[in-house]
Amino acid sequence: MNSGLVARILGNLLLIEGAVLAVPLGISLFLGERRAAIGFLVSMGVTGLIGLYLSNVPAKSPRLKAREGICIVTIGWTIVSFFAAVPFLLSGAVPSFVDAFFEAVSGLTTTGASVLSRIEDLPKGILFWRSLLHWLGGMGILVLTLAILPTLGVVGFQVFRAESPGPTPDKFTPRLAATSKILYVIYGVLTALIVLAVRTAGVSWFDSILLAFGSVGTGGFAPFSDSVMGLGANTPLVLVLASSMLLAGVNFSLYYELIRGRWKQALANSELRWYLAIMGLSVLAVSLNLYGRVYGSIGETLKHAWFQVSSVMTTTGYVTADFDLWPPFSKGILFLLMFVGASAGSTSGSVKVVRLMVGAKVVRGEISRVLHPQAARPVIVSGRVMPPEVVRNVISFLLLYFAVFAVGSLMISLDGLDLFSSMSAVAATLGNVGVGFGGVGPTAGFAGLGLGSKLILSFLMLLGRLELFPVLAVLSPRFWKE
Amino acid sequence: MDILIVGMGKLGYRLAETLVASEHNVTVVDSDEEALVKAVNRLDVLTVTGNGAQLQLLEEIGVGKKDLVIAVTSSDETNVLICVTAKKLGCPRVAARVRNPDYAGQIDFLKRELAIDFITNPELDTANEVARYLLRGYNSHLESFAGGRVGLFEVPAAALPEVIGKTLAEVDVFRDLLIGALYRDGEVIIPSGETRLESGDTLYLIGRRESVTALIRSHADLGQRHVTKKVMILGGGKAGFYLANRLLTAGLSVKIIEQDEERCGYLASHLPGALVICGDATDLDLLQDENLSDMDALVSFTGHDEENLMLALLGKQHGVAKVVAKVSRSNFVPIIEELGIDRAVSPGLISAGELVRFIQGGQVASLSLMFGGQAEAMELVVPPTAPIIGKALSEAGIPSGVLIGSVVRQGQVFIPKGDFIIRGQDRVIAFCLHKQLPALSKLFDPKRRGIGHELWFGRKDTGKPSAD
Repeated sequence: MNSGLVARILGNLLLIEGAVLAVPLGISLFLGERRAAIGFLVSMGVTGLIGLYLSNVPAKSPRLKAREGICIVTIGWTIVSFFAAVPFLLSGAVPSFVDAFFEAVSGLTTTGASVLSRIEDLPKGILFWRSLLHWLGGMGILVLTLAILPTLGVVGFQVFRAESPGPTPDKFTPRLAATSKILYVIYGVLTALIVLAVRTAGVSWFDSILLAFGSVGTGGFAPFSDSVMGLGANTPLVLVLASSMLLAGVNFSLYYELIRGRWKQALANSELRWYLAIMGLSVLAVSLNLYGRVYGSIGETLKHAWFQVSSVMTTTGYVTADFDLWPPFSKGILFLLMFVGASAGSTSGSVKVVRLMVGAKVVRGEISRVLHPQAARPVIVSGRVMPPEVVRNVISFLLLYFAVFAVGSLMISLDGLDLFSSMSAVAATLGNVGVGFGGVGPTAGFAGLGLGSKLILSFLMLLGRLELFPVLAVLSPRFWKE
Repeated sequence: MDILIVGMGKLGYRLAETLVASEHNVTVVDSDEEALVKAVNRLDVLTVTGNGAQLQLLEEIGVGKKDLVIAVTSSDETNVLICVTAKKLGCPRVAARVRNPDYAGQIDFLKRELAIDFITNPELDTANEVARYLLRGYNSHLESFAGGRVGLFEVPAAALPEVIGKTLAEVDVFRDLLIGALYRDGEVIIPSGETRLESGDTLYLIGRRESVTALIRSHADLGQRHVTKKVMILGGGKAGFYLANRLLTAGLSVKIIEQDEERCGYLASHLPGALVICGDATDLDLLQDENLSDMDALVSFTGHDEENLMLALLGKQHGVAKVVAKVSRSNFVPIIEELGIDRAVSPGLISAGELVRFIQGGQVASLSLMFGGQAEAMELVVPPTAPIIGKALSEAGIPSGVLIGSVVRQGQVFIPKGDFIIRGQDRVIAFCLHKQLPALSKLFDPKRRGIGHELWFGRKDTGKPSAD
């Protein structure tokens, strides 16, 4: 293993994190939040020094193999979360380190599950840092590193593949560094547009930025204790946020196609169509179920149904209504949507629509093979035949995802939660949704869980964000044997 | 530059590797998914699966916006079709591989009438390279630069016992010569003053022609002249045919051993001066009957790397002075030369070199790809606005892995020292490790854009003029 190069890249990652910490530090200094400012300053120093040390480790060769790639991604995300937790602890916003780590992982993996209550009383710098983590984690911290330091481009494809969501990464320019930059520019522009839209809907600048970070990164941290329930009556805002989440759930390479004027190809993308169809049908089903029972007017019904469906499906986790009080059918649909997620190449978590498509097509092929044993049924997505390795990878992913979900649910149920709450806690963290039902529902949060459960769920968030395989490969004994 | 390569065979891969290392943006097309997966995992390139000759695919890739298209699929006809299509779609420069000897006579026609800017024929290039080696007078001569005023020579350190164990700074036998590169244990080293010479090293000396000749005269081992008269070629494929043709023209006696009877008929009728033997080249008795040990040179050009290697070793064992083996896997070239075979040639590598020379265009006047592509010796004409001008070499920020071997100014050859100052329009012969090519072009590139440009494109714009 080329540990020198791994250390260098991790060092660069920490240097970037240290630099980014300057933003919340500035906010805390400006607002005179002394304790938070000291917390940021200390974390910045520690992160920067360790980063500086690591980034000067000599590397044996500039080549990076798959092994080093997944190592960088897994360890990188863990240590970045670790250092991101330090300001929470030092500022006194979160008293215990496990809670701070949970909050940081939840931010970075764009889960949005929070252990904090009385959020309005927290220093603004801390709130900003929490939401900024969403923004950084949404498009990927290593993709950011690649975008800022093009010299890593040569070695980065393994890293890019391990970090970008979906079965096959989209590289749409010859240079990986250029792809990373384009992704971040699109991401930045989209964020800016959402900030403006939210601001126009009548929210303060600070809250607009935080809400935009939370929705474009499909994270779900809001600067309020009750998510966005308090703003549920502000219909323009609800619609803006619901559309923002929907847009963040679209594969970002399609935006690039749009910019290049290839809107026909972008709209012909079959994952996009399935994504919109699943969302549309879910909104319809939930609305029919809610109309007359929970909401009186069609407008209100559609508004809340769409918001919740959009939020859960894109794995954001904002809520405008306590859906824990909704009828079982609607809750069931939301629960199942936690296992769908949005598109590959978006900022969302969970399984992703394209994997379900592949799974469904494999199953359909098998059914037709019962009748016609010789039938040729390749898996075709967007007019292209999926290579058998990709199909195999997708099927294993689906199996593994549900296996992890099952084992995780059992472990969390030891904490004394009821079974459905435990299951939804695991689905919400593994899928990076951030809000579940019952004991971890919209109004409950994750504060009441035990230390063990918080650590397990933190692990599940990382596992889900990095899409299982890289983390499990690093944890396998064979990885460390050679 | 934005470059499209169609065909990810050995040549395509090699080319992509070299071009990516020189900071070009490379897109590759192939219908074989597996070849592309291999490419994308190891190189920073964009891959597209499909038939590269298909109009729709080329349009989708945006071939009109590429600076260069290189067609190196396995089929000549496809390559030509790709080039013609790309040109019609607005690509300014196109290059193709055309290897069938039947088309050898119409290369100029293809270039002129179909507007293909560059055509490479790996087998022909390989044959020319081998012929050059066989026909040259001194064993150690490698390459000439600046119209023959500067020579690059290859000398085993063992032949110069007085230098072994010394650092370059201590060595003074060379006078006007400079050690541009060292070859040690399969690795190329661009030396500095502290580099210590070892007995197993091969030295690459550069300098004024006369100085080199003087050195060779003073060391008997180096001065051996091998006049090659009788050559045996094993395998009468395309490369074998071209080589025989070339050697016959130079007046050598050529014996070809080829297994396929039909092919033998073709060779015999097209190469009237050659003796064509129909038989198995791996049959030792046959080789002995044909007086293998009497030959001045043995060239094994069969279709199998392993066979070529064994046969070349066999030739060496029988006392043939020069043995050459063809190796299609270019990565093995250095290893094979370690085994005692005088020259291992790889058509892919030679073609890649030819194409790189064409692509660098502009300032690079001549260039030789050395040692399995690890390093290059190239002749550059310094543009009047290059950043390297006006500074002493020791202060010009030349990175390790780059060495200025000679400078030719108004016909005079200089061996530069640390205080030498380069001027515009000088001809510079530089040694450069492959990974330092970008650093080298930074020193010599005329146009420079700001840091914002680099941030966005992830590279410095090389500002090289295109050929048209």
